[in-house]
Amino acid sequence: MSSSALYEQLDTTLEASFQRQAIDEGQLDPAVQELAALASELRHLPNPKFRERLRQELLNEVQRLDAPTSQPKSPRPALVAISGGAAKHVVEEPILPTLFGAGYGNYPVRQSNFLISAAVHAAAIALVVASSVWIARHPEQVKQQVISLISPGEYSLPAAKTKAGGGGGGGDRDRLEASKGSAPRFAPDQITPPAIVIRNDNPKLAAEPTAVGPPDIKLPQTATLGDPLSRVLAASNGTGAGSGIGSGEGTGIGAGSGPGMGPGRGGGLGGGVYRVGGGVSAPRVISDPDPEYSEEARQAKYQGTVVLWVVIGADGKPRDVRVQRALGMGLDEKAIEAVRNWRFHPAMKDGQPVAVQVNIEVNFRLY
Amino acid sequence: MKAVEAEIDERALIAAAQRDPRCFAELYENNFDRVYAFVASRVFDRTEAEDLTAEVFHHALAKLSQFEWQGAPFIAWLLRIASNAIADRWRRNARRPEVADDGLDDPGAEDAIEQRVILAQLLENLPVDQKLVIERRFLEQRSIREIALELNRSEGAIKQLQFRALESLRNRMGEKL
Repeated sequence: MSSSALYEQLDTTLEASFQRQAIDEGQLDPAVQELAALASELRHLPNPKFRERLRQELLNEVQRLDAPTSQPKSPRPALVAISGGAAKHVVEEPILPTLFGAGYGNYPVRQSNFLISAAVHAAAIALVVASSVWIARHPEQVKQQVISLISPGEYSLPAAKTKAGGGGGGGDRDRLEASKGSAPRFAPDQITPPAIVIRNDNPKLAAEPTAVGPPDIKLPQTATLGDPLSRVLAASNGTGAGSGIGSGEGTGIGAGSGPGMGPGRGGGLGGGVYRVGGGVSAPRVISDPDPEYSEEARQAKYQGTVVLWVVIGADGKPRDVRVQRALGMGLDEKAIEAVRNWRFHPAMKDGQPVAVQVNIEVNFRLY
Repeated sequence: MKAVEAEIDERALIAAAQRDPRCFAELYENNFDRVYAFVASRVFDRTEAEDLTAEVFHHALAKLSQFEWQGAPFIAWLLRIASNAIADRWRRNARRPEVADDGLDDPGAEDAIEQRVILAQLLENLPVDQKLVIERRFLEQRSIREIALELNRSEGAIKQLQFRALESLRNRMGEKL
């Protein structure tokens, strides 16, 4: 196609486009198609006359605005020469503009945002520091629980109307039952166990035979020692063992075991211990300092529960603390050490404080 | 670096215009093409586009003292004004429901606007006679005959100039894009 034909085709196409008439693009030269597309874009460009007219309007408005204030409020920025020869405006760059409300981005920055942000950060830092200090002071937290477990136990208790504590037993494995007689005097300690049949006639250091129990208990005394509950008259220490009198074991008197008297265990008089329930209230913890963790268990990250057999006295102090279920690694000793320092409101029976036996679980946990 | 320098220049210009409104002229020249292209891409009517463009710059001049530099270029502020002006006009004329999307964040629209800005710049660099023909023919929408009479040339010569000018613009656009 000749050049003049191309010019003509282009103009015809443009004219049709101006008049919004349909054009068969398949019949057009490719170059004409491209130029026609470009021409349609050109129609959206601004008219230079409009541009100039608007500029003039703005200048007039500026002059109108400028008229009442002949002096500018502040000096205009200096124009300085730069290497390229062009003038360049110089403005003083503000230091950290966002601190004073000017921000980056499309949204305004408010000073209150900085205050809130600073407060939140300060709180977060304080939380981290406080947590660190707390962790440093509490490398692990030992949690313990006091649980009263009712189980048979032994301890010397005063006689009671329905249920008493303590007991003892003994004997020298005689074929005969222990003979009848009076109980020896009760004393807190026992040096010599009571005996009917004296096996050592010439002791190097003679001492009065006693049973372990409250000294204020006075039982009828006769010239002959023996088991007050026995009906046997023939002299015999009894079928038990342990140097006392009776069928039990130990250095006491009776069918029990221990240095006391009666069918129970341990010192004292009677047939058992007070337990929680049946008119006996449970002791309440007043003070329970935390047990320490043994270094060995801490390093091994060893955890578990120690069960202690404890008698809580009428004065609220733990006594006779023994390990019923051991844990090892030094934690048993730590548990005993801690529980000895615990204080309780004593168990009550008939309005009177009484000693009771409880089991205490001490849990050792590493956090 | 060029972008940073341009930003500093623009900030200096804005600061200068806020102190002395006469400096607004440079801001106007720097941003006119983009504002017009933005408006024209939305209203499709030359008279309306011119009205709205004028409204944008008059408003910008009146509110220039309230402008705070927030990192975004000055044109972003102008386009926001333009977008609000277009929406206001549509509401007043009840030609269409309220506009939910002003198109400011549409990358395709930004490309189209940028293309028209480049085209306007290339037009300025055309030879005088070609530029004159293009302006008369497409911006003032005159016929070939009218242009030929004004320039005292034949219609064929005007058609040739029109073809050459468009060809030149196409080639330069290809180089730019």
